[in-house]
Amino acid sequence: MDPKLYIEKLFEVKQMPVAPHQAALFEEFCSNASYLEAATDILRKQQLLMDAWSLNNRINDIKRQQVMIPNGTVGKVYGAQLDTTGWGWQDLVLLELEGLEAIGLAYDPETQQIRGIPEQNGDFKLKLKFKVTGEAEDAVPNEKLIPLIINPDPKSLWKTTPSDNTDPFWKADETAVSAPLGDRHIVAASKRGRSHANTGAFRDDDFAFAHFATSGWSVVAVSDGAGSAKFSRQGSRIACDTVVQYLGNKAEGGDFAELDTLLEAYNTNTGTDLQKKISLHIYQALGGAAQQAYKEIEAFAKEQGAGIRDFHATLIFALVKKYKSGYAVLTFGVGDCPIGLISKDRSAVHLMNKLDVGEFGGGTRFITMPEIFRDDLSGRFGFKFVEDFTALMLMTDGIYDPKFEVEANLEQVSKWDGFLRDLEGDNADLARVNLDADNPDIATELSVWMDFWSPGNHDDRTLVIIF
Amino acid sequence: MFGEPIQALNNALSGMINTLRSDAQALDSLWISIVTFDREVKELVPLTELVNFQLPEITCPQSGPTNTGKGLELIYQKVTAEVRKGTDTQKGDWRPLFFLFTDGKPSDIQLYREMIPKIKSLHFGAMVGCAAGQLADDSMLKELTGTVVHLDTADTNTLRQFFKWVSDTIEQGNKSMGTVESVALPPPPTEVHLVI
Repeated sequence: MDPKLYIEKLFEVKQMPVAPHQAALFEEFCSNASYLEAATDILRKQQLLMDAWSLNNRINDIKRQQVMIPNGTVGKVYGAQLDTTGWGWQDLVLLELEGLEAIGLAYDPETQQIRGIPEQNGDFKLKLKFKVTGEAEDAVPNEKLIPLIINPDPKSLWKTTPSDNTDPFWKADETAVSAPLGDRHIVAASKRGRSHANTGAFRDDDFAFAHFATSGWSVVAVSDGAGSAKFSRQGSRIACDTVVQYLGNKAEGGDFAELDTLLEAYNTNTGTDLQKKISLHIYQALGGAAQQAYKEIEAFAKEQGAGIRDFHATLIFALVKKYKSGYAVLTFGVGDCPIGLISKDRSAVHLMNKLDVGEFGGGTRFITMPEIFRDDLSGRFGFKFVEDFTALMLMTDGIYDPKFEVEANLEQVSKWDGFLRDLEGDNADLARVNLDADNPDIATELSVWMDFWSPGNHDDRTLVIIF
Repeated sequence: MFGEPIQALNNALSGMINTLRSDAQALDSLWISIVTFDREVKELVPLTELVNFQLPEITCPQSGPTNTGKGLELIYQKVTAEVRKGTDTQKGDWRPLFFLFTDGKPSDIQLYREMIPKIKSLHFGAMVGCAAGQLADDSMLKELTGTVVHLDTADTNTLRQFFKWVSDTIEQGNKSMGTVESVALPPPPTEVHLVI
């Protein structure tokens, strides 16, 4: 501003405006150099105050500005770009970013990037030292705290707390077994999921199997106790044991003699009439076993003064028998555990059961729900007669979820082939299960293989393979 | 909510996020979204994986209406659009959990009541209404959900206890269950009164 104009404005503000008749006098006043200099001085000082104030404001705004840099995770490569343009920091000179070293990260002032592999988790406050354009060379740098969150390594968070073995329904946290099964072989492993181990909770999964030599029938059952039900570990145990015992008794008691005759004839005569007769037998035998499982659990719950829903468990089971022309495989299933039959040349798979999957994760149906038996059961049975097969597999969702993810994949032979290759060692841990009846370590191998890591999948795992 | 209570809420919420971050299961599977409702309804944080989640400071105006109904409307839209349902080719998300926190009562009562059946139709795994302070209306929340807790004071300690309970509840949320059942809630802390 012109000093002369400033003086005129000043007089105006101070209620002593220069009147028209004082114009000449004002001109003369302003010709005094010392007055003009005083006005110039004031203007300069005003400017200084204004500049300092806006600089202070700017610094304060920057300090208060919420800026976010992405979270990191311990052990995972981290890289973040300070978005100075997006934050509107064009007038900033970034000097240092302190506090990164302790985390295991470093700041590159050239690229304005943070890089490294975090070693420590926590809520950190990084100290950014900066200057704003206009600040004196020797001014003390300003400081801004920027939050940085480093998540712990999820793997490091899992604890293994043993379950309470004095609990009346206690079962071993893990188990693995292999045995001959008729003219085939079986290997089975079941172990507590990390989410259960983490809290000292029990293994809720279970399995049971037996071969009945007189009749030639083999029975295998797998059950997954509901995480939300307090005695589900016992529900799954009763379900498996009941089915094996019930069907064993029937088989050995000669109840399947007529079914045997029908199945003997199956290959030479596959007319619908025969199919129907077989279906009826399956319905009665397997449906009877399922119902028996329900009854046993119901009776047990009553005895305990508990509700049957406290014992919620899914249930899948299969009956297998070798005939001259091949194998008959009969199945039943309630819940979200699949049964897959892989053909001899691994070129085809038959998904024996339809899963009960709700619209939300973890939602399914249980053998302990009376409505299962009120609804039409017929969709729950499976039957297949094959000359030979590579493997018959029964698994709980602890295996199915991470390895197949969705139901549609269970229909795809490529997925099953991938699953077999995974078992054969094609995995990150190079864990291998040598599916050979003469392999003495097979059960241990399966148990070790089952420790695979899959984010978000930490449920109990049970896998039974008949090969 | 203003002054000390909102400060306490921020602290407690941030404490809860930290607790969840150190929970193996939560860190692996939890997603969080925060919607605030006062005169304005705002999705403060869109649905974000806990690993990437950053909690901004929650601020509220000193006075004005509490548009709970509008808040529910936004929640309904978001849950419908964002929570993935299980199909043959898509893994379903765990059932979402809903926590509503208020120190007042709905100003938009008509919309609030219209939204209640819609919100219920979303089948949340658990729905918890929390009324904080003397001015909060328990009975209005009761219309929305059977689980209403009342905090007499909204101080840091009470809120911390409350959010500890919330995180315990969240940790219950990923267990297999019948398709129509809801999540069993852990017992609430002593500072929290379950409104019967």
